[in-house]
Amino acid sequence: MSFNSRTVAALALIAATSLAFAADEKPNATAGTQVKNATSGVSQDRSSKSPEEALFVEKCGMCHRQMGMGTIILARRVDPAVAMLEARPDLPADFVIQAARAGIGNMPRISRGEVSDAQLKVIAAYLAKGQK
Amino acid sequence: MSDLSAALKAFANAIGAENVFSSEQDKIDYSDHYSPDEKKHMPGAAVAPANVEQVQAIVRIANQYKVPLWPISRGKNFGYGGAAPVLKDSVVLDLSRMKKIELDEENGTVLLEPGVGFFDLYDYIQARKLPYWLSVPGNSWGSVAGNALDRGVGYTPYGDHCMQICGLEVVLPTGEIVRTGMGAMGGASTWQLYRNGYGPGWDQMFVQSNFGVVTKLGLWLMPEPEALLGIDFEFDKPEDLGWAIDTIMPLRREGIIRQSPSMGNWLRSASVMTTRDQWTKDRGPLDENVVTAIRRRFNIGWWSVQVRCYGPLEIAEASLRILQKAFNGKPVLAMKPVRWVKGDAPEGSPFSGVPLSFPLANANWHGGRGGHIGYSPVLPPKGNLALDQFRRTYALYQKYGMDYHASFAMGERSLTNVNQVIFDRDNQDMMRRVDAFFHDLVKDAKAHGYGEYRTHIEYMDLVASTYDYGGGALRKLNERVKDALDPKGIIAPGKSGIWPAANRKGTRS
Repeated sequence: MSFNSRTVAALALIAATSLAFAADEKPNATAGTQVKNATSGVSQDRSSKSPEEALFVEKCGMCHRQMGMGTIILARRVDPAVAMLEARPDLPADFVIQAARAGIGNMPRISRGEVSDAQLKVIAAYLAKGQK
Repeated sequence: MSDLSAALKAFANAIGAENVFSSEQDKIDYSDHYSPDEKKHMPGAAVAPANVEQVQAIVRIANQYKVPLWPISRGKNFGYGGAAPVLKDSVVLDLSRMKKIELDEENGTVLLEPGVGFFDLYDYIQARKLPYWLSVPGNSWGSVAGNALDRGVGYTPYGDHCMQICGLEVVLPTGEIVRTGMGAMGGASTWQLYRNGYGPGWDQMFVQSNFGVVTKLGLWLMPEPEALLGIDFEFDKPEDLGWAIDTIMPLRREGIIRQSPSMGNWLRSASVMTTRDQWTKDRGPLDENVVTAIRRRFNIGWWSVQVRCYGPLEIAEASLRILQKAFNGKPVLAMKPVRWVKGDAPEGSPFSGVPLSFPLANANWHGGRGGHIGYSPVLPPKGNLALDQFRRTYALYQKYGMDYHASFAMGERSLTNVNQVIFDRDNQDMMRRVDAFFHDLVKDAKAHGYGEYRTHIEYMDLVASTYDYGGGALRKLNERVKDALDPKGIIAPGKSGIWPAANRKGTRS
């Protein structure tokens, strides 16, 4: 599989505009031509401030932080401002566990070898903390 | 006869019941989420050892009860089967808990266990601020070792991952541990430094094979260069593929360009940014007007390729000038220079080894529950042959009503035509066409003397059957080796079309 740097520029812009503007804001088709290095912007924040957050980053961050596959697809289905799971105010722990084990949409199922039941519980509680 | 339930009890005794997974949900979790038919390759259970001793114990138990094992590193081989085995009811040997990293900072080598993913290794290097860049594949969720062992590729000069392997630790099918290369010597100090070893070199024997379970893999890492310069090219017409490849290939052969530029069509770019139904409700072949509208919106060529030069600044600049000169006066739609020099903000792309997962978003192109399988024949590096390949396969995509998603990766002496057959698993009509389409693609490649470099578990026999010189002499050799090393036939039956004696009947057409 490969990627196109204009894709990165456009996706980065989609992510940026999504946060700043309405969900249906269209990206500027010429975006990317003005930046020095259009391919930059794939890096995600891999930092954490707690063991629970560190576990989320290790097991889920690759898809559910910036520029992740999950974030990009979820931005089409929910308010892009909360496309990253950590920004969601409404994620019940049971739902997180169900989604991870059963898969959801394009998200493949996560096996117990990859994330144990105990680890998944910790991650689900971490994501549920934003629940009102 | 195999005895799965007795084996599962023995596995639980050996590695703890909490690491043996045999519920219905577990079996589903280890099957291939993106495949057309998950049930066909559903495993019987999974076991997740913590160390090499437990791998040995599992292998011995599997021999005792004649239970086939399907080793996976992290099981993210999407497009090729994910975690699922060729042979239904095999027990997945999940190595994802084995995550040791031993990095030699001075020499730029690393010894990895199979559970280490690209993001894990990236985080490890970043945390220590080490001056090494990874080479990552488009889906960097998976295992570094597993990807190299399946001949995966990346974007940097170290992008032929299999070629960076230096020394393996392998549990043989009968449970003994062997170390290849210099690691064959007790107390070896050059295991990750010198590839050849003494006598026959057997690292490659364990690549895309079922001759053992790799538990440690040595890999060379690229020292961070002073500069990363390049050009992003966009091309307007399908026909531009031919001359563009003929322009780049001489530089590739000479080593002016040391990474493998991959020339991909508009859908490779668009399929992660948008979905088909945004543009047309027509489920038939895509109208060229639709293609044009998508290209305009995202400012992409019919084809695009990113070419990069690495090294000390003066060398990278000289390489870039040669690249620019090669394209002088040629009808490129757009050329955009990119430049990173040490001291700049992080380059931030896979060209500097930043892992990524967003290319997998192409699974959502059709909406619905998407999936894909990879079709990747290898061609001679000639523009006219690539163009001909494009035209023939494009016609097959049209015939089967599938959307063309392909790229041509330029190796030093070859082109790999990576196709992703993207489908919507909720569309029964489409799913019925996928199998016949794939068979036609393989048949077409074979008719031109092209073989696939890697394939999905469903098609391992089909692809193996195209390697038919001398009445399938290579497969016969592989199976003689298989029988000698794995008399009970327990490691990954059917991998790369290699079957143990007991399973061989009825698998051949």
